[in-house]
Amino acid sequence: MLGTVLDPTANLAADVTSAGPDAGALAGKRIAIRIDMLWRSWDWVSEVWAEGLRAEGATVTFWRSCGRTGEEGRVAAAEYADLLAGSDMAIVGLGNCGSCTSWTIRDALTAASGGIPTIAVATAHFEQLARNLSKRGGRSGLRLHVLPYPLDILPKEQVDDIARDHYRSFLRNFGVRSGLAQQSAA
Amino acid sequence: MEAGWGDGLPLIPPTEERVQDFLVKGGRYPDELVALLPPLDAECTVEKIAINAVMAGAPPESLPLLCAAIEAMADPKFDLAGLNATTGSVVPAVIVNGPQRDRLRIPYGAGCLGGVAGPAPAIGRAIRLLMRNVGGQVVGLTSQSTFGTPGRVAGIVFAEWEEKSPWAPLAERRGVAGDAVTVYGAMGTANICDVVANDAMGFLEIIAKSMAYPGANGFLTASAFSETLAVIGPVWAEVIGREFPDIQDVQQIIWDKCALPIDWFRPEYYEPIDKLGRIKPDGRVHLVPTPDDVIVMVAGGMGGLHSAMLHSWGTCLTTTRPVAAA
Repeated sequence: MLGTVLDPTANLAADVTSAGPDAGALAGKRIAIRIDMLWRSWDWVSEVWAEGLRAEGATVTFWRSCGRTGEEGRVAAAEYADLLAGSDMAIVGLGNCGSCTSWTIRDALTAASGGIPTIAVATAHFEQLARNLSKRGGRSGLRLHVLPYPLDILPKEQVDDIARDHYRSFLRNFGVRSGLAQQSAA
Repeated sequence: MEAGWGDGLPLIPPTEERVQDFLVKGGRYPDELVALLPPLDAECTVEKIAINAVMAGAPPESLPLLCAAIEAMADPKFDLAGLNATTGSVVPAVIVNGPQRDRLRIPYGAGCLGGVAGPAPAIGRAIRLLMRNVGGQVVGLTSQSTFGTPGRVAGIVFAEWEEKSPWAPLAERRGVAGDAVTVYGAMGTANICDVVANDAMGFLEIIAKSMAYPGANGFLTASAFSETLAVIGPVWAEVIGREFPDIQDVQQIIWDKCALPIDWFRPEYYEPIDKLGRIKPDGRVHLVPTPDDVIVMVAGGMGGLHSAMLHSWGTCLTTTRPVAAA
């Protein structure tokens, strides 16, 4: 005869289902784009998007995530905190592998928990992982824009085309208020 | 099983009585917070450790070791968040030092990396269940591991054969004497076999050169850094130790020989590797940045012929913690 069986799982914190504030108008806004040392395709996409954001009057600052442990990690955490402190909104990517999706979502959750409009970016193969990690990180409503997969094996010209194709839907996902964001994709 | 608490193997039901008994014998209070485990960043209390350890079949005497191992894994420098989600096949290897090795029957001789009957697989399984049930690492849900590894079922738990080592115990060299646990992000285990070498340099060269293969994570242009672990068999260790009683010399030689010429890589690799400053003036690329990143220990059977290598996943830095007495 068995007694009561105890639960081996963790007690989860309450989930935040809200996407957080919309990005709103872009003119005059300081936008942080978090890139990494893994994905050149994300460098290319974010450069295309940054061009568009600047055209709408925003200022864009890139920050590259490198090693996140040891002394290098401490420096990175401080740099990232400084970046967010001086930004009105954050674009965080790229979730295109397991660990990089984990760090993308962690960095996005950090930005979102600071109250600024935040969007994470992942490729289609890692979308579900990104959503699971967002939920398990306590913010299932985190905005996520999904790019095609595979992306990193494509030539720059093709990736640039994808970035341009996705720009308007990205703005909409981010809650940007502008004429361009309201237009449907060509 | 239906609740998703398990790994597919039979589980021992964690009844109140069994968990209470485990806690009493393990000598810890249930409410004590040991660590926050990612990706859930969930509170891992002593009670949660006990429940999962009961399910895995681990002995109560292993509770202090389990607590210290979890604490070490949760150190931010170990990057458990990245390790849990990665496409890589990494698992935290748990290396045990000190008198507890014999009390807990953690293997350090023949078959120490797997196959010896004893509590090590159950202790490793307890850690794996904690990573699943408390941390939230589930394949296909929060873990993208492309292949996984057998070590993700029952862990990799082994000890150092300190008495056969010509050098101070691994944990002591890392600042913790006596009972200690070291966690290392291992991409599985691989054997190094040689029947020709018969001197220290011969053994060290075959170890170092075996470790340097182009697909090792240490060579990834996406890795800021990496470590590597050489588990030297006691027969080789004795020969090496006679010629190199200072472990730093051993680390230096392995580091130096564990490298590939840049022209072994296809031309498109040159730029990203060069950008990281990893091409040395002699045209070689080392697996790990410095000799300090070569971790050396002694274990294995007296059969000779063999040593073992455990490549690191990358950014998770090896972490050592003392293990409190039960």
